[in-house]
Amino acid sequence: MTRYAMVIDLNTCVGCNACMAACAMENQTPVWDNKWRTYVHDKEIGTAEDIHRRFFPRLCNHCSNPACMSVCPTGATYQLDNGIVQVDEDLCLGCRACALACPYDARYEVTYADVRKGREFFGEEAYQRSRPSMDKCNFCAERVAIGQKPACVETCVGSARLFGDLDNPDDPVARIVSSGAARPLMAHLGTEPNVYYIDDMKRRG
Amino acid sequence: MDVTTGFYTQDFWTWWLALYLYLGGLGAATLTTTFLTDMYMKPHRELVLWGAWSGIVMLALGSAMLFFHLLDHMAVIHLLNPLVLINQPTAWIAWGTQFIVWMMVWGFLYALPYMMDSPFFTRIPIVKNILNWGLIQKIGRTCGRHCRLCGWMATINGIGTVVYTGLVLQSFPAVALWHNPGVPLLFTVSAFSTAMAFLLLVLNLAIKKREEDRPLRVFYERTDLILISVELVILFSFFFYLQRGSQSAVVSAQMLWNDWGWMVGFIGFGLLVPFFIELKGVVKGWNSPAPIMLASVLVLAGGYLLRHYFMYAGVYARPW
Repeated sequence: MTRYAMVIDLNTCVGCNACMAACAMENQTPVWDNKWRTYVHDKEIGTAEDIHRRFFPRLCNHCSNPACMSVCPTGATYQLDNGIVQVDEDLCLGCRACALACPYDARYEVTYADVRKGREFFGEEAYQRSRPSMDKCNFCAERVAIGQKPACVETCVGSARLFGDLDNPDDPVARIVSSGAARPLMAHLGTEPNVYYIDDMKRRG
Repeated sequence: MDVTTGFYTQDFWTWWLALYLYLGGLGAATLTTTFLTDMYMKPHRELVLWGAWSGIVMLALGSAMLFFHLLDHMAVIHLLNPLVLINQPTAWIAWGTQFIVWMMVWGFLYALPYMMDSPFFTRIPIVKNILNWGLIQKIGRTCGRHCRLCGWMATINGIGTVVYTGLVLQSFPAVALWHNPGVPLLFTVSAFSTAMAFLLLVLNLAIKKREEDRPLRVFYERTDLILISVELVILFSFFFYLQRGSQSAVVSAQMLWNDWGWMVGFIGFGLLVPFFIELKGVVKGWNSPAPIMLASVLVLAGGYLLRHYFMYAGVYARPW
């Protein structure tokens, strides 16, 4: 079996936001309304001279026990055998229960107005969406299916994002995760997330 | 990663959904209480007609709140299909939608035989004609023969709807205020308390059979008093549960217990004032129905405030 996962190294993320741009172009997200599948938080931590700037990329954690999937009333949110959690826009009501269930703030609304704007922004022929839905990252499942990496991983200049298969012990991602160097976010909620973070050494402790 | 924890509320479900949960709970509890009263306490045509129709209208209005809030209104067809319960048994919204739809259907069927005998409905021009259709007459007579079955089907779906309004919030694991077994309990007690208050208003303002309905009014007043007491106990537990534990819970507690709308509006005027008014009514009685009607209006307003503040005080603790 394959179980896709991502490791994000907070030490090497430089906050260039290239991942956000690559994702937005690849997945045609409503950037005009500040809606992204992946987002890099930029935060200053500390006081006076002891100040440190941290960049914190976030995206859907493709949980093995996804809360968004269990609350979805129509089955629009579903999971592939490889662990990727996807949204079927034809089935999605847009009730937003998934957004409330997600601890990682991974969901955003695509409205009818966004669909109309998307046709103008990305081009009538290129734009792939036809209906509104509660959208989210899908690890660029179409790219992954043909052996490519997700757009955000491909474009990351600091190699802060690694993508791989947790069920393959020789995969670098599986090795980092099994070493304990990378930790998932809010594991206590029982969602079994598959995005892991290598902690920022300057802020450790 | 933990040093940068931020606390966020959500703006996906706001007062629209608070109204949906409020009207859903109130409508379903009103129908259930009315039918149980009619079946086991006192056969009461006017009460059934008032309870059934106001309950159905409340459920329809509440559902409209959810419907207009949807991003894709056409996709609601997937939710109305009963097979959704087989495909998505873990989704409470799927259960809730089915409970609400079937509650309205069985509620209408229970009330139909009474409508056919009602001087009011048989005077309304189009309704009168519809009630005289052969098929409707046949359905009405069948429902009249099996009124207990219709009543219990409505009651089961009504209780399902009431409990669902709490279970749907409980299913969101990241928010400590919502994700605990106290929420369905609190919302269930609150829904039945508001239903008692609503039916007291109906008995005092619309039906006005003062002496004949006196035992019923006393029963509703006493039941409401007990329900308000239970609600206060549950809120007392919530207060201490939220004080210690996850950061999400602590921040929710700070938001709620430092808010005048919650403290004075909901707990003060929505619970304590009606509690003392009804307590005096039960112990010594009132010379006029006005204090009980005032208490009922306050309970109804408090019921909405509970859901409103619960929706807005749900806090996510996130590591960024």
